[in-house]
Amino acid sequence: MRIGLVTESGYPYVSGDAGLWCDRLVRGLPQHEFDLYALGGGRPQEDGGRVPLPEQVGRVRTAPLWTAPQRAAEDDGVAYGRRARRRFAEHYGELAGALCAGTTTGAGAADGSGNAFRGAFGDDPRDDLGDRSAAGSWTDALADRFASALYGLAELARDEGGLTGALRSEAAVRLLERACRAPGAPSTAREARVPDLLTVAAHLERALRPLSLDWYGDDDLGAADLCHATAGGPTALPGLLARHFCDVPLLVTEYGVQLRAHYLTLGPDAAAPAVRALLAAFHGRLATEVYRRAALLTPGNAHTRRWQERCGADRDRIRTVHPGLEAARFAEVGEAPDRADPHTLAWVGCVEPAKDLVSLLHAFAEVRKEVPKARLRIVGAPTGPEGEAYLGHCRVLAAQLFPDEAEGVHAVGENPVSFERIGGPEAPTLPEAYAAGAVVVLSSVVEGFPLTLVEAMLCGRATVSTDVGAVVEVIGGTGLVVPPRNPRALAEACVALLCDPERRERLGAAARARALELFTVEQNIAAFHGIYLEIVSHCPVRRFVLDEAGAPLPFAAPAETHVPLHWAGPGSRVLPRNPPGRPTAHAAAHPAPHQASEGAR
Amino acid sequence: MSGFGQDAPRGAGGAEGIRDEGAVPPSGGPDGPGMPAGAEAWDARSAEWAAGTGEAGAPSAPASQAPVASVVTGAPREPVAPVSPASGPLAVDPQPRSGRSAGPRRGAADPVKALLHRHRELCERAVDPLEIAAGLEAHGVTDRTAARFRHRDVFSLAEELYARVPRDGAPVPQPHPVSAPRPRSGWIPLTLLPGALGAAVVTGLRLTHGRPRQLVVLGGLLAVAFAVRAALRRGPLAPRHGTVPWRTASGTRAATLWLLGYAALGDGLVRAVVAGGPDALPDGTHDGSWPVTAALALALLLACAPAAWCAHLLTAGARRRLAGSRGLRDFTAAARPLLLGTVALFLAALTALLALCGAVLHENAAFPQGLTLGALLLLARLLAAHQHRHAPAVALGAAAAAEAMGPALLLAGRLPGCAVLASPVQALLDAWSPAALPALACGTAALALLVHTLRTLTRASAHAPPGTPE
Repeated sequence: MRIGLVTESGYPYVSGDAGLWCDRLVRGLPQHEFDLYALGGGRPQEDGGRVPLPEQVGRVRTAPLWTAPQRAAEDDGVAYGRRARRRFAEHYGELAGALCAGTTTGAGAADGSGNAFRGAFGDDPRDDLGDRSAAGSWTDALADRFASALYGLAELARDEGGLTGALRSEAAVRLLERACRAPGAPSTAREARVPDLLTVAAHLERALRPLSLDWYGDDDLGAADLCHATAGGPTALPGLLARHFCDVPLLVTEYGVQLRAHYLTLGPDAAAPAVRALLAAFHGRLATEVYRRAALLTPGNAHTRRWQERCGADRDRIRTVHPGLEAARFAEVGEAPDRADPHTLAWVGCVEPAKDLVSLLHAFAEVRKEVPKARLRIVGAPTGPEGEAYLGHCRVLAAQLFPDEAEGVHAVGENPVSFERIGGPEAPTLPEAYAAGAVVVLSSVVEGFPLTLVEAMLCGRATVSTDVGAVVEVIGGTGLVVPPRNPRALAEACVALLCDPERRERLGAAARARALELFTVEQNIAAFHGIYLEIVSHCPVRRFVLDEAGAPLPFAAPAETHVPLHWAGPGSRVLPRNPPGRPTAHAAAHPAPHQASEGAR
Repeated sequence: MSGFGQDAPRGAGGAEGIRDEGAVPPSGGPDGPGMPAGAEAWDARSAEWAAGTGEAGAPSAPASQAPVASVVTGAPREPVAPVSPASGPLAVDPQPRSGRSAGPRRGAADPVKALLHRHRELCERAVDPLEIAAGLEAHGVTDRTAARFRHRDVFSLAEELYARVPRDGAPVPQPHPVSAPRPRSGWIPLTLLPGALGAAVVTGLRLTHGRPRQLVVLGGLLAVAFAVRAALRRGPLAPRHGTVPWRTASGTRAATLWLLGYAALGDGLVRAVVAGGPDALPDGTHDGSWPVTAALALALLLACAPAAWCAHLLTAGARRRLAGSRGLRDFTAAARPLLLGTVALFLAALTALLALCGAVLHENAAFPQGLTLGALLLLARLLAAHQHRHAPAVALGAAAAAEAMGPALLLAGRLPGCAVLASPVQALLDAWSPAALPALACGTAALALLVHTLRTLTRASAHAPPGTPE
């Protein structure tokens, strides 16, 4: 099977963020061919070089989109002829109109007020389902309008070349202005001033850059059996277009909701209300379109799944695939008997304000009232200057709360709270940092998918965590969960575990078993393997080959072309016959497959 | 875990719901969204844990989730005592209410109101309910918390908040007051550099003779060229986004160099050609056989500084008007006088400089060709700085070609039988002076560029701030 993997922030590059997961996925499925389509990056990333790619990667195409300087030649607006300009005006005007149609605000407000009364008076909650279905058809019409405008722009870009100049032109700004001033536009949009319009136009230009790519030909994304986008939002745009142009089914994996990240990034202090309203509408509609068109969605946790459902994803097409961790690193610690000091609490992670270490320190003060010999080890490095400041603050607080104490009159004192880093003498490796604590604590107030918690579970530790993000989903019943920002509850739970070694052991073993079943790399890859097969069996890509006269050629694309090239095994010396029309065919036919695939790149 | 919230009994009767909401969270199933409400409850339960009840059959498998979780979040509750206030993130103000049999409660009848009060700013400034939902989640509100407010999930809670927050059409304060860009002083000395070097070269020309003069001319020209390049690379005259592609720039550059060269040497050449020459290369003096109009060249070099300042004024003024105008039409209307004023200001400065240089160098202050050329160069540079490179290249090229036609036609007229070619130029020279030729060429081009500039640089998109919000 041939899979077009659309990655953001550069998987094939050394400095890519999401690289590890993509790399594991590609390496874990050697029976498929992968074509990599990398968005973003830019020169610094390309200078960093690429990670060595396995031989199942056929081709790598990169587009340094988000950081690319503008192409000066396109900026004069002379690139488009009159007809193209008219087409652009039509579609862009439609897009802007869809952004300003304002159902989200209007319908949401009406719906919300209804809820408010029902909530207050305890009415039947099923009433609002009726409202939703009534508003549903309008929402659908709006989504269709947005989609047709989007695909219209994409077709224009395919026929006439890059859109960048047109999207930044005065005509685009004027269309935006007209849409904002149109009757029925929400009041926030109507307040848009000229700088706001310019900002929105610039942002749209940036977000729509994937439309101008030349990836949608029959031998690029069009040749794939499946397009797998590793993030939602603008990153999934190439997948959407491949689906539109070439009917390639789209699979979208989201570990964090792009729409939510957009809301948090573009907060009230970042831009004017009109800008935020318009861009929120754009990203909302784009997310809806992606969720509507994707053959399957694989959110990384239930929280992401809820957002996807909220934005119009069909529940039947969602499969939650938890991210996987490499379990082997933690096997030694996890299997070994507990040798930790029975009075030690451990906290491991990146130090930042969202982790609420202050609350942890206060809780620890309570713990020490019950268990005077308790110690707390905070292992982790601060992230950024904010984290540095927060770590300093926590150190001061720890010094104030807990005086140094010594064994006797002649011994040197020591603070019961220690701040350490991975690689230091006390915690040389990550598993050992976990192993040093009898109980691992997670005190965050905000958390996405808590990887540190999974690591602690893999280490077989009993855990106490706050009820945030996907914590409950991850921990299941194998650890204690307390409300966030509640030091006393945290302390009670810690004391309960510290005083009960048997229970600790039981919970730790259960946690490790759960993590091994649910959060390993193997289950992640197996899940994706199954999902790939499911998608291809449900939505096979049918290709018709035409001869010169335009008549269809029967049997020109035989079923064998779908057979992976190295089906006889990667180490086999039996050379398969070159299937017709596959650009990478010569790679496998070469006696030294590894070098050959290097050349094919 | 969306399932949690949905399991919670939302349809509970009013009074019962209110009573639930106080001390005991309304939790449903075995893993319901309960929250430990306070110390006493936890004490009681921890005593229970110590006794080992409730998790007797918890071996080591995931199958044992439910019993353990039930201990954690506590489903079968014993009646608990009234709890101390402010233990959770969403604790409501303690408000003992008389007349209720169940004793003092810490919640008001409308718990959402307290939440609304706490997140008032978020709710007031949100543009849609999803933004409130994202913000609430970032503050640690989960579906289980939302269940305390008798909502199925954070989204419906956010919708209620969005609907309930007062949204009077009060003007929202601008988030970032638009400030004029501070003139970073780095470019100011750079704009003065070409003028200073030009003055030095002219002085050198006046003071030296023979071979040293050639060296002075050569070195001076190189130095001035680098200075001009430096002045145009930074500051308000620099192209705003990225670098210029070399091919586009080279044509413009050649035309500009030709125009400048003609300004210094062209009049002398035409005069020499008319007089039957030229017999020798220019010697750098004003009164040789091929005279050099150094005053014009020097004035143009000195005008780099006012040009940069004018461009800066235009940028700053455009940004101010951008912030102040409500529609694109308003901006265009406001930007047009600004642009014309800027050009006029520059022309005034150039006039003064021309007069000054003419007086100091005892030359004829070449106003017509100087002003037209200055205006043409300024407009071309302004357009190029705002990413319009096509029109300036055409205008400069046309002006350069027109100027080249003059001496070329005159020389061609010398060929036998081609005297008719020289007649238009000759007529022009007879009617006016040799200065008319560059003045006409540059003036026409400058006028055309001015019209183009008034159309393009008065658009808002030409002054879009670089960069995007993210």
